[in-house]
Amino acid sequence: MSNTKQTELIGQKKNFNYWWERIGTLLIFFLLFIVIAIISPAESNFLSLNNIINILYQSADKIVIGLGVFFAILIGGIDLSIGSVMALTGIWMGMMMNAGVPVFAAILAGSLLGGALLGAINGALVNLTRVHAFIITLGTQWIFRGVVMIISNARSISGFPQEFKQVVNFRIGNLLPTAVVIALALAAILWFVTTKMKVGRNIYAFGGNPEAAWFSGININLHRLIVFVISGICSGIGGLIITAKTGAAEPLAGSSYETFAIAAAVIGGTSFFGGKGKVWSVVVGGLIIGLINNGLNMMRVDTFYQQVVMGILIIAAVTMDTLFLRKKKS
Amino acid sequence: MEKLVEMKRITKQFPGVVALKDINLDVYPGEVHVLMGENGAGKSTLMKILSGIYSPTEGEIYIEDRQYKHLTPEISQEHGISIIYQELSVIDELSIMENLFVGRLPEKRVMGIPVINKKYMMEKAREIMRLVGLNRSPMTMVEGLPISEKQLVEIAKALVWNTKVLIMDEPTSSLTLDETQNLFEIIRNLKKQKVGIVYISHKLDEIKQIGDRITVLKDGAHVATKMLCDVSGKEEIITMMVGRELKDKYHSTCCENTDHEEVLFKVENVSRADGKVKNVSFELRKNEVLGFAGLVGSGRTELMNVIFGAEKMNCGKVYLEGRELKIKNTYDAVKKGLAYLTESRRETGFFDNFEIWKNIAMEESLRTSKWSGAYGLIDENAEKLEAQKHKDQLNIKATSIHQNITELSGGNQQKVIVGKWLAADAKIMIFDEPTRGIDVGAKSEIYKIMRELVEQGKGVMMVSSELPELLAVCDRIVVFNEGEIRAILEGKDATEELIMHAAT
Repeated sequence: MSNTKQTELIGQKKNFNYWWERIGTLLIFFLLFIVIAIISPAESNFLSLNNIINILYQSADKIVIGLGVFFAILIGGIDLSIGSVMALTGIWMGMMMNAGVPVFAAILAGSLLGGALLGAINGALVNLTRVHAFIITLGTQWIFRGVVMIISNARSISGFPQEFKQVVNFRIGNLLPTAVVIALALAAILWFVTTKMKVGRNIYAFGGNPEAAWFSGININLHRLIVFVISGICSGIGGLIITAKTGAAEPLAGSSYETFAIAAAVIGGTSFFGGKGKVWSVVVGGLIIGLINNGLNMMRVDTFYQQVVMGILIIAAVTMDTLFLRKKKS
Repeated sequence: MEKLVEMKRITKQFPGVVALKDINLDVYPGEVHVLMGENGAGKSTLMKILSGIYSPTEGEIYIEDRQYKHLTPEISQEHGISIIYQELSVIDELSIMENLFVGRLPEKRVMGIPVINKKYMMEKAREIMRLVGLNRSPMTMVEGLPISEKQLVEIAKALVWNTKVLIMDEPTSSLTLDETQNLFEIIRNLKKQKVGIVYISHKLDEIKQIGDRITVLKDGAHVATKMLCDVSGKEEIITMMVGRELKDKYHSTCCENTDHEEVLFKVENVSRADGKVKNVSFELRKNEVLGFAGLVGSGRTELMNVIFGAEKMNCGKVYLEGRELKIKNTYDAVKKGLAYLTESRRETGFFDNFEIWKNIAMEESLRTSKWSGAYGLIDENAEKLEAQKHKDQLNIKATSIHQNITELSGGNQQKVIVGKWLAADAKIMIFDEPTRGIDVGAKSEIYKIMRELVEQGKGVMMVSSELPELLAVCDRIVVFNEGEIRAILEGKDATEELIMHAAT
């Protein structure tokens, strides 16, 4: 078969839906960006390089945890324990560093392995009990937060080595904070997992039709476990970012951050019906949250109004998903 | 005597299929009118027309001197027509009493506010329960009742509303012999009260016991209506029901001389803990299509599920080419070269969020993966080329392999599923009701594919409830009844009569 013939066969008709699924979220981001740029007061310097970098910096943790819950939503589940996992992994790291563990070892053990462990607990509980992840992670949200309070005596931990703050605050070329690099690197890895690795394909299949996945030979329990471990690791990295930003591990850190995560995922077009969504769209979803916060701050809009805007945005995003799906089914 | 219901010249067309043509059916007060026919003969469709769920394309229905072009569930209920489905529709979470009145709770007014009339419900429920022989408190939750008593609740439910015509769809399929006799006693009671009963069943023995008249349907057409006392015996009924033949035969022609004795796949003493499969053994030989006949619920799908590792096997062994297979889950089955086309495409067959090519690529991707499917890289271009190959070979009608599978017709969806197992080069393929809901042309294509597969040395098993299809395609036919193998027939000797004898 000649090369042209091959591309002809493999080539795909690119219609509106095709493009909307791929760059719809990005389009919304730029529209919002332009709108804010136009209506924000000139003296606010919204368009300055510094502020744009700031938007990225503020979005980094939302992107990271949004990616975590994205996987849970992809298989038709949810992870509500994100905020508590962030706090617990933060406390673990803090305690280790204060006990003299080197910074990078503490990050590896506390944030990454700790997050993976907590995620595995979520996944194993869903597998064992067959209870929906909503309930299980609602429970572990309380359990993990309780453990944080117990081991920290409800006091914040600080006094870490100087390089710990640099892990997320160092500015590459005196410009780009490492937190942003971490978030984008994680996104790149997870993009690879979802599009190039079999485990990713299996997770989409699982989310699309769990029954068919089982009858096709996909080990459902294993893949659910993997999904929650990924979500746990993402929360752990999120915990690292918020802890290192301020240089203190707070017992109440990450409270209600799961709402940011879910917002990033659904604004990024992840379908609550399972099986549909894209890593890069979630990244843009996280950016949109950062952009709105920043932009409304620039316009000196009260934070209470910001919450109203966020709520409207989430409802609008999910409504669009539902409407699209309904149209396809009928 | 005046007829309770008369259905005249009923025809029902679905897109592309004529489900019923020119059917007449009437019911007199106090008679049991038996309705028989193979799976797919049109019994359920006819009953759904009578209960107002479907509208007939042509024909009239006369009830108490009124003529209807079609009924609605409300009209049907008003005339006292009740139906008891084979699958129980009682609600486990409610009490017996609440089940009886569900949807139409009796009201009374307390200070002008409408509330449930519990007292009336209790009294009425007691009365009806006594009638059907259900000795429980009306407050008992349905959840804990044995199946047979749930069935009685179902019947009681139909009797609450002054039922004149009662349709029973295989009411004894989950009852023991004693319970069946008990049910017959209830039916005789109802007859005395001039209730007309339409009784659908496959069990020839009980029909003789309880029936007064019999109507036989075949392929949506009316074969005969007779008084049961005029019917000489089982044989006469079977002869009326069967006798349909597929014009084309798909038996192997080239392989007459080849060795049929080599065993490809063997199942030994397989049982399930729930008793739905009991001690089943059979061999699948090289170059043969092995058919599995039986009534719905006879344990064939349940057997295939445990062979494929989708459900738990209590005991038993499975051999492929002489070597024992250890299959703990479906992943193992795929790895070992088994393929399973499940009976419900939409629920368990394909991924509606995937394009054709991704659906086709699924099994090969899993088969070549490591770590229980979690490890391995995807080669999209290779997958697309493979998918394209199978799309061409199987003649899948789609604009391209990038089309979403939900946009295809049933037959083409089925071919995509065949394609995904072919792409994984499966050695043993299980087809469970492979032609259900697909058009005639696609059916014959599926038969040809199965034939080609065995000629390539693969083993093919086909579960089907359509006898003509089994007879046309299979070299041997295993007949199931109540979880056990009742007969293994040679394809060339098998007839619909022989199969029905073994299956009932």
